Amino acid sequence: MRSVISPAIILRIREFGESDLLVSFFAEDAGRLKGVAKGARRSRRRFPNCLDLFCLSRMEYVDRGKGDMLFLDSCRLINPFAGLRSDFSALSLGSYMVELTEILFPVGVGDRRMFALLRRAFEALDQGERGDRLRVIFEGRAMSLGGYGIGLECCSRCGRPYEGRGRAVFLRTRGAIGCLRCAKENAMTPSLDPPAMGALALIQSGDWKALRRMGLGPEVVSQIREVLKLHIAYRLGEKLKTTRYLE
Amino acid sequence: MGIYPPPLENLIRQLTRLPGIGQKSAARIALYILGRDRELADELAKSLVEVKDRIRFCSTCYNLTDEDPCGVCADETRANGILCVVEGPGDQLALEESGCFRGRYHVLHGALSPLDGVGPEDLKIPGLLRRLGREKIHEVILASNPTAEGEATASYLARILGDKGVKVTRIALGVPMGGDLKYMDRMTLEHALNCRIPVRT
Ligand SMILES: [Zn+2]
Ligand SMILES: [Zn+2]
Repeated sequence: MRSVISPAIILRIREFGESDLLVSFFAEDAGRLKGVAKGARRSRRRFPNCLDLFCLSRMEYVDRGKGDMLFLDSCRLINPFAGLRSDFSALSLGSYMVELTEILFPVGVGDRRMFALLRRAFEALDQGERGDRLRVIFEGRAMSLGGYGIGLECCSRCGRPYEGRGRAVFLRTRGAIGCLRCAKENAMTPSLDPPAMGALALIQSGDWKALRRMGLGPEVVSQIREVLKLHIAYRLGEKLKTTRYLE
Repeated sequence: MGIYPPPLENLIRQLTRLPGIGQKSAARIALYILGRDRELADELAKSLVEVKDRIRFCSTCYNLTDEDPCGVCADETRANGILCVVEGPGDQLALEESGCFRGRYHVLHGALSPLDGVGPEDLKIPGLLRRLGREKIHEVILASNPTAEGEATASYLARILGDKGVKVTRIALGVPMGGDLKYMDRMTLEHALNCRIPVRT
């Protein structure tokens, strides 16, 4: 039985039995995991206020071979992201990010880049950022990490490479763009202009430096927003429970 | 098929539907009930049905009660004008048992939790707003838990109560009785320092 110590972000908490907690968390290396914190509702020493929703904590856990249920040994708070709990819109956006993460990453699938994305997004929420800009950055990158990146390199019908000029249309059944010769723009096939194409490419690859240099204006955000809305609905095939609290 | 006769299996299955009761505990409880006098089973069955039939929400404070209004709302010796808002009946009970609050309560029946599908429309907020004018409330104490959901609920309520002409306060957060500073997290210590009070010298 090897004990693992890892930074982790708490995704969900359930009371369990008389004094235990069931904790679902996203660990930096190991990805999404579930564990039971024995006596966590009584013992403040092993778990001093570190097991609350969305906290970044230093988690110590052991695999005792009970299916996918780990045993949580102890925990230390690193960052509670206080701003995230300061209002309902932040809590809702944070919850939406957690739900999307859970759909894209099954238990036990590790990805350091996803952990970094969650952490950055929660830091942004903590610092007061809200709304569509943060939402599209998270959605675009998370979908890409989860294996659902949108194909932006060439027209998915005729294969003509996209060279950074003119608008491209998003084709949801292909999860990729099409050129204006092959497809028409309408509500179900919205288009992206060159700045939006460039921004979405940077979001998907996680090139935050270049994205910051480029800036992400409301016009670009709203184009990407439309595309990602259709893309997520089509690929994940279910309406996320938390979206109704975002509008 | 289970290892027990069907009626016993059925009881075990029903017991496992209760929170915190697994297969093993359910079997233990079922066998215990089976081993006692018939009186225990009768009383248990009767009280289960009675609690569903007779317990309801107080139409004023939404606490659980067998009479409407509940004992607290009907008590004329309690202080009027000050409302303590809590998440659930258990929280109200804890405050009441402490004996340190003599005002009125309002039970929300939950906290805002998008992940669990709980939004503002699922809490007893309209009832709270109605009480403000009707009961001439001058102070609302927000006593939701200091969890992410409880904090978001408190700030949501603070925002909608902001223009209602009442004083809105939040219960203090800090180092608990018997606590040890060494084991406290940064946020608790920060709260404890921010909420410090003058000491009589
Ligand atoms: Zn084409
Ligand atoms: Zn009442």
